[in-house]
Amino acid sequence: MESSMDLWKPVGTVKIRVYKYNPKKDFAPGWKEYEIEVSRGTTILDALLRIKEEIDPSLAFRYSCGQALCGSCAMMVNGRQMLICRTRVLEVVKDGKVELRPLDNFPIIRDLACDFKSFFDKHRAVKPWIIRRDVEELENPTGDYKQTIEEYARYYQFTDCLLCGACYSACPTVATDHEYLGPQALAQAYRYIIDTRDEGLEERIAVVDSDHGCWRCHFATSCSDVCPKYVDPAQGIQLLKKLIMRSKLGFKPHKPAEVLPSKIGEVKKR
Amino acid sequence: MSELEYYAQNRRGVSGWFKVRGYVIERKLYALHRITGILIVLFILPHFYSTGWHPGLWWDALLGVIVTFHVANGLRLTLLELFGIGIGKPLLVKKPFQRPVSIEGKQRYLLAISIIIFIALALIWSYYAILVKPLMGG
Amino acid sequence: MRESTKMLLHYITALIIIVTGLIHLLANNDPNIGKLITANTYLYLGNMAIFLAALLYHTFNGIRVILIELVPDKCWTKLIGWAILLIGIATYIVGFQVLLMALGLI
Repeated sequence: MESSMDLWKPVGTVKIRVYKYNPKKDFAPGWKEYEIEVSRGTTILDALLRIKEEIDPSLAFRYSCGQALCGSCAMMVNGRQMLICRTRVLEVVKDGKVELRPLDNFPIIRDLACDFKSFFDKHRAVKPWIIRRDVEELENPTGDYKQTIEEYARYYQFTDCLLCGACYSACPTVATDHEYLGPQALAQAYRYIIDTRDEGLEERIAVVDSDHGCWRCHFATSCSDVCPKYVDPAQGIQLLKKLIMRSKLGFKPHKPAEVLPSKIGEVKKR
Repeated sequence: MSELEYYAQNRRGVSGWFKVRGYVIERKLYALHRITGILIVLFILPHFYSTGWHPGLWWDALLGVIVTFHVANGLRLTLLELFGIGIGKPLLVKKPFQRPVSIEGKQRYLLAISIIIFIALALIWSYYAILVKPLMGG
Repeated sequence: MRESTKMLLHYITALIIIVTGLIHLLANNDPNIGKLITANTYLYLGNMAIFLAALLYHTFNGIRVILIELVPDKCWTKLIGWAILLIGIATYIVGFQVLLMALGLI
């Protein structure tokens, strides 16, 4: 009878081809190949950690949770953006080789680690927080903001974003346009605009309806194709375009959510 | 020094527009839409300059394929981007290995219809270019 | 002009191109329908004037979008926008003259 420990029995060796580049020291990037013994359950992250421990301690890469929750370990595996902590080596091996590169279109810090500064700046530029105008309620809250399950369903999908950078890396517009906001920021802009608790439509439209905003998206859909949390940023951007067109005709996306007075502090009479 | 900065920047540049291997078919259609758009602009320049010039029989049919692809794909993009037809609704529940609704939902029907429109228009154009126009005097 | 207005015009001109372009193609390639269309020269001139305007707007806006993606710096974006507008208007004037000549009205 097969036991679950069969998942961890070594089944062979795989060559992991890693992009090695230190911008401060090397003139040009190079590749290094490591041979690693794998089992059915070995993830690429497991293999890289084994390489770092036993073969080459100078290898630089990012990882954190190991369970596709933090978005730190996104990189190019055989030419496609993936989270390596949840991709098994035997799933992606081609002719006994797995090729690892840092994410496309991100500046490289070293080897497989990239610089995310401009990516996070673009996320901040769309104001990813709830904007309310009722100062009185914000200063002295009397309760929660009402929201039905249907209104929640309109934006819940986009809240799963890990900011891993896979969608931004896969986008063809990002390849040439370094000012383009990117699918992640635009999908988050839509998530906040369509949230009924939010009243920041004008501020966000000014950012998103610009030369390098949502209209530089041409529906190549690679962002949704590679997203590890199935956030579907392409859908968010097309819905955002539709929303902008409707707002030009005067239609608002939703009425601002009302306050549901809270009963905390009210003493129940027995 | 600038060599170092070039590799460290890690931008794909224009080759990123045409990196279609390993992604969905819509990525390939985007690249083709761009290429056909540029080719149409290149055709229009001599068409304006020497009034009404157009290449001969089979080249006219090729031009027809290029233009009708751009038109059919453009119609698909207009419906998706302006009106949100086929783009689907955001999900509340995601299944394991969920494929994106905006790509593999109703959008694929729209894709099939636009390919049928493309083939039909390209055939009609080629028929006119190869059979009818020479009889009219080229 | 907001980017969404420019893109809305891009889509509207695309639809206009399909309709007026079809009339232009039929006029030049189909013997029967062609005679019907070119019977009234002024109507055909009107059709071609609208076709030319829509085509030039759609083409030059497309060129502007591709150029902005290639050279995203802010000062270049403004320059490209204005240059494309001027070239577009100039091309329309020249093209309209050629049109009048081709239809034998000048």
